[in-house]
Amino acid sequence: MGNTVEVSNVSKSFNGQFVVRDISFDIAKGEVFGLIGPNGAGKTTIIRMLLDILRPDSGGLSILGSGLTDDIKDRIGYLPEERGLYQRLTVMDTLAYLGALKNKQSKRRTLELLETMGMLSHKDKKISELSKGMAQKIQLIAAISHDPEFIILDEPFSGLDPVNMKLVNDLILELGKRGKTILISTHMMDQVERMCDRIFMIHKGNGVLYGSVGEIKSRFGKNTILLEFDGELKDIKGVKKINHSGNYAELLLESGADTQDVLKTIASKVRVSKFELSAPSLNEIFIQVVEEA
Amino acid sequence: MTKWTTIAKHEYTYNVRRKEFIFLTLGMPLFIMVAMGLPVLLAGSSISHAEYRIGYVDKTGLFEPGNFTKYTDEELAKKNLLDNKITHFFVIPANYTATGKITIFAGKKDLMGRTVESQIRNFLIDNLLKRENKDVVERVKTPINSEYVTLNEKGETSDGGLSDFIVSVAFAVFFMLSIFTSSNFLLQGVVEEKENRVMEILLSSVSYRELLIGKIFGLGAVGLTQILAWLVIGLGILTSNPVVFAMLLDRMHVSIPLLLFAFSYFMLGYIVFASIMAGLGAVATTSREGQQMAGIFSLIGVIPMMFLQFILTNPGAPLTKILSYFPLTSPITMIMRLSTAEVQYYEVVLSTMILAVSAIVIIELSVKVFRASLLMYGKKPTLKEVIRYLSES
Repeated sequence: MGNTVEVSNVSKSFNGQFVVRDISFDIAKGEVFGLIGPNGAGKTTIIRMLLDILRPDSGGLSILGSGLTDDIKDRIGYLPEERGLYQRLTVMDTLAYLGALKNKQSKRRTLELLETMGMLSHKDKKISELSKGMAQKIQLIAAISHDPEFIILDEPFSGLDPVNMKLVNDLILELGKRGKTILISTHMMDQVERMCDRIFMIHKGNGVLYGSVGEIKSRFGKNTILLEFDGELKDIKGVKKINHSGNYAELLLESGADTQDVLKTIASKVRVSKFELSAPSLNEIFIQVVEEA
Repeated sequence: MTKWTTIAKHEYTYNVRRKEFIFLTLGMPLFIMVAMGLPVLLAGSSISHAEYRIGYVDKTGLFEPGNFTKYTDEELAKKNLLDNKITHFFVIPANYTATGKITIFAGKKDLMGRTVESQIRNFLIDNLLKRENKDVVERVKTPINSEYVTLNEKGETSDGGLSDFIVSVAFAVFFMLSIFTSSNFLLQGVVEEKENRVMEILLSSVSYRELLIGKIFGLGAVGLTQILAWLVIGLGILTSNPVVFAMLLDRMHVSIPLLLFAFSYFMLGYIVFASIMAGLGAVATTSREGQQMAGIFSLIGVIPMMFLQFILTNPGAPLTKILSYFPLTSPITMIMRLSTAEVQYYEVVLSTMILAVSAIVIIELSVKVFRASLLMYGKKPTLKEVIRYLSES
């Protein structure tokens, strides 16, 4: 079997304005794929078209090798960006209903997932009694409790605290290991960098980057210095841009700058405890691409 | 179980458990009972039937006392009335046989005055016809004890008549009530779904059509449940009085075909209205806005009630024909006509077919509007946009 998802030359406009313009990408079976881009880039529109909630104006889409029949829908799990659940239903009733709509209800698996996500003790509570983060975990469980082959997660990390973020992160990695095809749509680059095999970056409805994370990074070259230091860091010759974060900094080199010269200049100004030449982070690439566009 | 039945089942159980639903379903009969029972209770506390003690002043000399107290002096009667020795008295003037005029005096305002009058009436008849045979007197008191028989072309007779008419009026009222209450549930159900944003999860599992049809049937059943509960409670109260129950059994000769027609018109008409309401719910951004739009359609549904007299007396008129075929008005119009007069066979078939086809077409149109406007959260589509959705294939 070939690709789980094939998107070819898809365009969609609302009120005469392009939201998505002539984009194409594939997601291979068993791949963890990142759909990334700033807010309003068209990520959710692409996902809605994949699920036949919206229809593209032109272009073709295929999921799991065919059009979107009921049977195919049963093999897909979806966590939408718009979070909402029936407030007056209990956790178990909610999961039972959403599971029944997928024709694959497994109480055992649902309970296991509740356990994994630390929600088992809340299973008989009403949704309205849960915190926002808890409700979000319930939605994630609803998206995967029918053991789908293809899982679409739209901004799965938004609104989660670090502990829950790690839980969700581990769960996605676990699903990936079990051979599930996963599409993660997000603007949180560090997550994508660690989890995704390949990415498609969209900006203002246009595809701007497409490929494996490593390949994209090497395309941008080893033009970045990761620095750990003490002191005040500014105005370094040969450095185009400095992204500070406390005692760490990401330094973007000007093209043609010599790293040894830069190191000398830095060493003369601050105490260096770590110096590493590296490819730019996906976050930096993302910002660069968006700013250039 | 198919997906739309799963949705229908969910919608039903979710909404039937609403506090508002339970409150309204049980509260409404209670409210009506209190509203209707209160005056009776109040009246009952003033004078109960058995306690009538009636006197009379006879200026003709024709009337013998029987159970009543005879007074020769009007002043004494007044005094006794004020002293509460009697509850009522009446004066029969000398020219009574020519005019029929009597004056009734009562000690208290009496809401059940008619009972007193009927006692006086029987007293007068008994006296006027005291030389007649007892059966004749009874016939004068109740001259008609009717039973209707309708003769049709095959020479067979079928009874019904008044009962059938009562059934058709009950049908109309029942139908309107169902539409009004269910439209509320449908509008609320669809609008709320848009607000709580579960829609997208549902749509990743089912099609728009399955979702809408599930909602129409699930929420429609909620409305029917409420109406049925009211009906059962109402009948329960009515039949708890054995006299009324016996009377109902005795009087009711409803023809079976009429009931069958009523059932099929009811269900089809209901689906038509429910689909319209669901479509409106998809377009409306708030349930209040939806209700305003729904009001227009509900009003159209009431039109046959307004032209009832005309419809029944002019079966061939163009207005009657239009109301008989137009899907929003045909259920009530046709049942009214079927219960009171002969309706051509083809008319029934044609109007039922139009109704059934409309139901399917309206569901499809609602699905289109639903699909087009659902994800436009917080933005109401203009009429032009709605028309465009409808025309898009």
